[in-house]
Amino acid sequence: MSSLTGTGIAKHFGGIKALDGVDIVITEGEILGLVGPNGSGKSTLINVLSGYYRADAGRTVFDGDDLLRLGPHEIAAAGLARTFQIPRPFRTMTARENVALSYMFGQRRHSLAQARQAADQWLEFTDLANVGELPIDQLTLHQLKFLELARALATEPKLLLLDEVLAGLNPTEVEESIGMIQRIHAQGVTLVIVEHLVRVVTALSTSLIVLNQGRVIAHGDPEVVMQEPEVVRAYLGSRWEHA
Amino acid sequence: MNDVLNQAIVSGILIGGLYAVMSVGISLTWGVLKIINLAHFSFILLGAYVTYQLSTTLGWDPLIALVIVIPGGFLAGVIMQVFFELAKVDEFQSLIISFGIFIIFQSVTRTIWTADFRRIDGDTNPYESMSFFVGDIAVQVATLIAFGVAVAIAIGMTVLLTRTYFGKAVRAIVEDPEIARAYGIDVRRVAVLLSGLATAFSAVAGVFIATFQSLSPNMSFGWFGIVFPVVILGGLGSTVGALGAGVIVGVAAGVATTEWGPLSASLVTFLILIAALLFRPQGLFTRQSST
Amino acid sequence: MTSRTKSLIGFGVVAVVLNLVPTVVESLDAPSFYVTFMFTAFFWISQSVSWNILTGYTGYFSFGQGAWFGIGVYTTGILAAKHGWPFLLALPVAGVLAGLGGLLLGMIVFRLRKQSGEIFALTTLAVAFVLASVARLYSFIDGGRGIFMTGTPLPAFLGDFRTAMFRMTFVVAFLTLLTAFLLYESRIGWGMFAIRDDEPVAHGLGVPVFRYKMLALGTNAFFGGLMGGVWSLQIGFVTVEDVFNIRVPLFVILMSVLGGLRHWMGPAFGAVIIYALTDRLNSAGLEDLNQVIIGGLLIILVLAVREGIYLRLRARWKPALAVFVLAIGVWTVFDLGSSLIWDFFYASLLTVAVALVPLKRQPDTAASPASEAMAASDRSPP
Repeated sequence: MSSLTGTGIAKHFGGIKALDGVDIVITEGEILGLVGPNGSGKSTLINVLSGYYRADAGRTVFDGDDLLRLGPHEIAAAGLARTFQIPRPFRTMTARENVALSYMFGQRRHSLAQARQAADQWLEFTDLANVGELPIDQLTLHQLKFLELARALATEPKLLLLDEVLAGLNPTEVEESIGMIQRIHAQGVTLVIVEHLVRVVTALSTSLIVLNQGRVIAHGDPEVVMQEPEVVRAYLGSRWEHA
Repeated sequence: MNDVLNQAIVSGILIGGLYAVMSVGISLTWGVLKIINLAHFSFILLGAYVTYQLSTTLGWDPLIALVIVIPGGFLAGVIMQVFFELAKVDEFQSLIISFGIFIIFQSVTRTIWTADFRRIDGDTNPYESMSFFVGDIAVQVATLIAFGVAVAIAIGMTVLLTRTYFGKAVRAIVEDPEIARAYGIDVRRVAVLLSGLATAFSAVAGVFIATFQSLSPNMSFGWFGIVFPVVILGGLGSTVGALGAGVIVGVAAGVATTEWGPLSASLVTFLILIAALLFRPQGLFTRQSST
Repeated sequence: MTSRTKSLIGFGVVAVVLNLVPTVVESLDAPSFYVTFMFTAFFWISQSVSWNILTGYTGYFSFGQGAWFGIGVYTTGILAAKHGWPFLLALPVAGVLAGLGGLLLGMIVFRLRKQSGEIFALTTLAVAFVLASVARLYSFIDGGRGIFMTGTPLPAFLGDFRTAMFRMTFVVAFLTLLTAFLLYESRIGWGMFAIRDDEPVAHGLGVPVFRYKMLALGTNAFFGGLMGGVWSLQIGFVTVEDVFNIRVPLFVILMSVLGGLRHWMGPAFGAVIIYALTDRLNSAGLEDLNQVIIGGLLIILVLAVREGIYLRLRARWKPALAVFVLAIGVWTVFDLGSSLIWDFFYASLLTVAVALVPLKRQPDTAASPASEAMAASDRSPP
């Protein structure tokens, strides 16, 4: 059963085609890995799906709604949430207030009083209960990344897009985060994860999409996909460039 | 042909040059340094009053006042930028702080020169009444000179920004100040110089205003409605854009004045501003990529 | 009892007490300028608190307060003085027209492809100029002749002119504060704060940003216009120059920045202090210095006390209250000030000084978020 089906998604910036007719199917309950060399369009795809960028062409059906016609807040109400690679908390609020805010708006509306109560459960789930009352600038990067997760979860999403949750973390923190992603998945949330660490993605995800130059070049079982010649070529090329 | 309309268009083009000089300083500091400096309005006003004072008490030709006004404006720009750098203000704070500076100068100007209208005497100011005819159309020399200066500034700044090391540094800062710094550009020094230059342009605009208008401290409020449409229409940081936009606003306001009376001019410029924001927020004269 | 219920009871008590002031002043045979002082303070409280609903809550900095104020002044001026409408009937129209003006502006600027706080600020600056030229242009508004408000009849139950002004300004200021408070303690208010902090993120988490920005701008304009409507009476002879000038937006910005944009009470607090300051400077014959002081204060405050003094004083409320009470006591007992207003003024200045004293260790008040509130820049969604 498919949760989200995108066809022919295109987005260009000036003369550069960041997404050049992307077709994507996200199946309910899966962890879909999204990989590709730098500049292949992973982040652009996340931004288009979550409504931050308006696509130039294409159609995305999510539970019967065409997402590309909706504003970001309507997409959130439809049950899609995302995190940011570089955490973007609301800086004048505490961690708890950040979480409360997304619970108030998210997929269903709740009052301020309800949200203040309910925020605890996500703070606990993401191990942030002890920093809930602190101002944002006293949190570590690791905690801010978890706050991104807590805030996204508090919108009660059906589909969650995770943009490089592991980037910038030390090995211990990466381990903790992987555990967190698995716990989120166990709650029944469909996940799309964008990561640079290909080995981690291959291990975590149930299926994999490889993007290169704004196009999908492979989609399927992670182990199988990574062996495909075109994928290998795309990756070797990019590694060689960045060596 | 409608002579009145032709006259309005020609006068509009020429006064558009003055609008460009008034706007180019604000456009440069906003576009390049990310400082919205409302104090530029004060320096336009001060430039005008200093010119008036030199003409009146010393009997100077108004244009000789440039010798004092240009270095004075430059120095003021340098001081302001040094202050902004020391205080580490962002775009938003610069707006409020320079608003405070503007209010102070407003009061100072009113204290020194009172709220009465001041005008340079005809004996020392040959430019006001001087004009010649091209066919049936009168050309006022004062605005013609201002237009010439606007063209000179546009050309001069274009050469400066494209041909010199200073220009390269400025363009690098527009792209990304951090990277510019990493490449060894002394961002602070470039910023201070640019701010000095920008403020000098504003003060020069004041000199030309003094040559053909009556001065009063409150006139600076009216400039807001001209300068911001020009800055946004021309594109932030674009000197050539400021000239083009100045001419558009000048012609539109001039035609509106002859068709619907002088009070309709600010309505028309406001509509131009809205239209510019709606359809071409990056300005008419800049390419999509810049700023 | 929740803190919100407590605050609402507080609102009720304040309403009852303040409503008695004109009667008390009269029965004590005290100078009537106390009443004038207070209703002018109410005017500024309402203007700055309503401004803060837009700028403090959503982060969109506005120079447009003069426009909403002016629409209000001219609406009651035209309807009540020129067309003989009952004043209290013209008053709500003033608020509604100003509110619609705000919404119209919002329809344009909040729909722009390239949105930024700076563009918004400058557009609001232009609105007052345009309204001024419209008012001068059309004789059914002003046409350069001005409107006489003196002799506009007021219903008898409002009392004499001064008492009537007190009651009307008080009701409007009260409603403005109540609205600001209710928003502050609600889902909608928090949605606005999220817009201030990071609009694209707020949008993505489900905050209907366009609707909320319109609501904030509309509320701001409504109360600005409503109070403007009342104020036309105090102006007496309404002219374009007196109404659409930089004075109202300038003072409102200063008052709010001084009091603090982060709390619903901040601007009200700043309004009282700045109004008291300028009132005393004027009565001491220092009008010329006024603008210089105000401009200087604006610069210093933006750089030095970014969270505003209200939050600082609240964090140090014990020493602040002690200083205030002590100062009032000393001044009254030794009869240092020439009147109660001067006593109050000196006591306030000393109290504010308490807020300005920098402390080495103050983890709860010196929080940096305030600088972000001021600097709600980066608001250009891709």
